[in-house]
Amino acid sequence: MRRRAILAGLASTAPIVPGAVAFGLVYGVLARQAGLSLAATVTMSLLVFAGAAQFTAVGMWGQAGGPLIVLTAFIINLRHLLMGASVAPHLRGQPGRWKALLAFGLTDESYALAISRYLAGDGSREFFLGANFGLYAGWNLSTLAGAVLGGLVVDPGRWGIELVFPLTFLGLLVPLLTWPLGTVVALASGVVAVATAAWLPGKANLVLAIVVASGIGAALEGWWARTQ
Amino acid sequence: MGTYAVILGMALATYATRALAVFLLSRRLTPGIERFLGHIPAAVFAALVAPPLLAPQGGFAPGLPAVAAIPAAVVAWRTRQVLPTILAGMGSYWLLRWIVG
Repeated sequence: MRRRAILAGLASTAPIVPGAVAFGLVYGVLARQAGLSLAATVTMSLLVFAGAAQFTAVGMWGQAGGPLIVLTAFIINLRHLLMGASVAPHLRGQPGRWKALLAFGLTDESYALAISRYLAGDGSREFFLGANFGLYAGWNLSTLAGAVLGGLVVDPGRWGIELVFPLTFLGLLVPLLTWPLGTVVALASGVVAVATAAWLPGKANLVLAIVVASGIGAALEGWWARTQ
Repeated sequence: MGTYAVILGMALATYATRALAVFLLSRRLTPGIERFLGHIPAAVFAALVAPPLLAPQGGFAPGLPAVAAIPAAVVAWRTRQVLPTILAGMGSYWLLRWIVG
């Protein structure tokens, strides 16, 4: 039963893994070009496991100081604080080692898959773990391949493979729109994220959008509860 | 800072963002905060959907990906599954690129 849930989580990542692999390959190539050794390139993927932060770090490598790179990684990943907060009620009562393990693997994609299952009523820590592991394996194996193969890798941007990510989140978002309040929250979040994208770099626009839209949703829901 | 010190710093900073709320919010919270947390998933998904489709370079400039997302959204509504949504979106995108040239 538990093994089945882990496998179901693993299988849920199959549509996204090609996209993650394409980016892992590019990260591996760029990291080597930026002067990181093969071991350092692979170690970063193994320990950090955060695509956007790793790409940014590699872009800054040699031009910015270490503390600034670390601070940038923190800011880029601040959105995970909100995702952790959102999944926290579902992990209440789980042993600390499960929380620690699941938090290590929490990414945009695995959070999205896991929370969708929790909202549908059949989520579990095992499913979450399987989703984390599928993306972790894809990211690290493709990092290794990119770092070894180097310049042989073609530009994945040609095929528009990066579209897999918004399409995945679209597929997970649409079922939540049956609830009118969900539609309001989604619209508010999308508008704020797009409107502030140009002047809030480092994914800070996502943090602002999520906080504002969830706040609007909570306020409307509270107002609705009081008027009933 | 040495290479591995930077990597370790990044790892700790990233882990902090992921683990902090998971451990701190382990007790029951006020209804207002619970409501706030309940709206985060839809807000996260929309925030991850909209910018790459509508503002790929930062400014508002919807292009072929935004158009391809329309049939993808219809398929998402009908099937409520990720894989058909991706296939519809990528298929439409490649078709559009072939037509536009």
